[in-house]
Amino acid sequence: MADTQTMADTQSITYNAAMGQALVEAMREDDSIFVLGQGVATGGWFGAEKGLADEFGTDRVIDSNISEAFEAGLAAGAAIAGMKPVINMGFGDFALIAGDEIFHKLAKWRYMHGLNVPMTAVIIFPIGTMNGAGPEHSSCTEVLGMHFPGLKVVVPSTAADAKGLMCAALREPNPVLFHSVNTLSFQRGDVPTGSDHFVPIGKACVRRPGSSATLLTYGSMVEPSLQAAGQLAGEGIDLEVIDLRSLVPIDWPLILDSVRRTNRAMVVHEAMKTAGPGAEIAAHIQEQAFFDLESPVLRVAGKDVPLPQHGALEALCIPSVAEIVAAGRQLCLG
Amino acid sequence: MNDQHPGKNPGGPAPDSDLLKRMYQRMALTRAIEQCMAQHVRNNRFSGWWHPGEGQEAAGIGASAAMRRDDYLFYQGRGCSWAIGKGMAPGPILGDLLGKPSGSTGGKGGGVPHWVDYAIGVMGEGATLGSVYPLAAGAALAAKQRGTDQVALANFGDGTAARGTFHETLVHAAAWKLPLIYFCENNEWLVGTPLKQVSPTENIADYAAGYHIPGVVVDGQDAQAVYTATAEAIERARAGEGPTLIEAKVFRKHGHYAGDPQHYRAPDYLDAYRDPLALLAARLDEDEASALWAQAEAEVASAYQAAMAEDDPAPDTIFKDLYYG
Repeated sequence: MADTQTMADTQSITYNAAMGQALVEAMREDDSIFVLGQGVATGGWFGAEKGLADEFGTDRVIDSNISEAFEAGLAAGAAIAGMKPVINMGFGDFALIAGDEIFHKLAKWRYMHGLNVPMTAVIIFPIGTMNGAGPEHSSCTEVLGMHFPGLKVVVPSTAADAKGLMCAALREPNPVLFHSVNTLSFQRGDVPTGSDHFVPIGKACVRRPGSSATLLTYGSMVEPSLQAAGQLAGEGIDLEVIDLRSLVPIDWPLILDSVRRTNRAMVVHEAMKTAGPGAEIAAHIQEQAFFDLESPVLRVAGKDVPLPQHGALEALCIPSVAEIVAAGRQLCLG
Repeated sequence: MNDQHPGKNPGGPAPDSDLLKRMYQRMALTRAIEQCMAQHVRNNRFSGWWHPGEGQEAAGIGASAAMRRDDYLFYQGRGCSWAIGKGMAPGPILGDLLGKPSGSTGGKGGGVPHWVDYAIGVMGEGATLGSVYPLAAGAALAAKQRGTDQVALANFGDGTAARGTFHETLVHAAAWKLPLIYFCENNEWLVGTPLKQVSPTENIADYAAGYHIPGVVVDGQDAQAVYTATAEAIERARAGEGPTLIEAKVFRKHGHYAGDPQHYRAPDYLDAYRDPLALLAARLDEDEASALWAQAEAEVASAYQAAMAEDDPAPDTIFKDLYYG
């Protein structure tokens, strides 16, 4: 993963702090970037914006009311007026409150007006379960961005990628839905220092090379997938684990190269199974590489239910390491 | 700020005669496009969604005349007075309406108009009606952050003042004193529903009180009155005093869309109609007004012919402008 491992110095910081570091460094270089959301000036709900208001003041780090549609619409308007808004929406679930503003205005404004102009806007959606946050604060909504052309969609799985993808998103001339993973918020990782740590949007990476089958995953499921691959290695099953990192654009060349080599594929994500990202990925693989496949493409995904408030029930709804292991065996042993 | 009721002579500075002529010239262009489109719909069973604005020209022309070239305009979808008023030529407007490459959107504009010209602050339209409030606030915030004295104007119809984002945006714009003008064209109809059936207030401008900002009612058939009210609001916004909600009482002369049989309206509803062009023409030299009208008709006829002679957009248009770069 040449693009995530640089020769630069690294420091151990959390995933959210890494996002915040990318923001700070970009804001120092670019006056047109501002941050707006609920509580961002007081450090953000999950700490990603900690210290921003101290350095940049409340003209550039702006607390709003509880008003997601306004926040996302403001981002669209500020972006077409040449600013680079960063909006923390609090939870991915709230994308639906701002549906018109995100999926019509941010996604379509430039297209429907026939404009070939840059439009930078980063909408942060913290997604996924966090031990009982309940059905309206736990959703994985990243598939929505895949269905409305005009947006880019990223989901970092490490602290280094959280910074690298944020650095890229802040310089991207298209609106980016930036999905941060709730369970990773406070996970530490070695993160390159400096403002030039870019993880290109649209590039996946191989987290574990392997030859038996290709496991495609992203976000919260990268670590469980690597654990499952470690277990299966003891059984002679050598999984290649690919972290997609971006869902729009999606790195089809890397995916198809791997599948054509291993001849087997499975997709693992926390998002619900039906019409989730895995459905598109599996369909695309069978369209493009059907005759390279030894086995049907499998999906291990969240149950098709609203997520329970009770932590133990919630755990039953998202893929476990054991389920990924079982699917790996099914995929390779039939 | 005192309310200004329909029919009352507007206070404040009167526009000079050059300004009156310019407003009349742009109202004439707008009217000529209206008449051209009406004819086009009849002759061609036009499949676009044209929402006629004939009779409503004074509001958009009067208000945009008070705006500067670099002020941001977000408009609603009835008629074309705002785009003309902000300085767009009939050619690209008709090109958009007829779906031709010469349209400002390169053939994507259509009948729920998405014409655009960033160089003169025509920022576009949201066809999910009543959706531009937060976008205009974003542009206003951009101006404030850059320290320019630009303002943003969100134009909308009375039917969309119930939108959540109408209120969400006003809360923030008022609290942050954004240079934002809310400009309502109240034609008293939400498609076929009378506003009074669904509104708790007589005036849309009455909502302003709840946000501690000025609310102004103005005769929307009188371009001069509209100009004066808008100029005052813009002056306040440029001075950092925050938003104003202006409500222009206008008259919807035609149906919601071209072809609407309007069974829901009284047969004699046109008795109350006052033609905004006649109203302004009475303040101009008669020969001058006639000459401006003839010029507008000729300009629009020629733009229409040019657009009709064009080929349709190339098929690869569908993949253009989805992503930048």
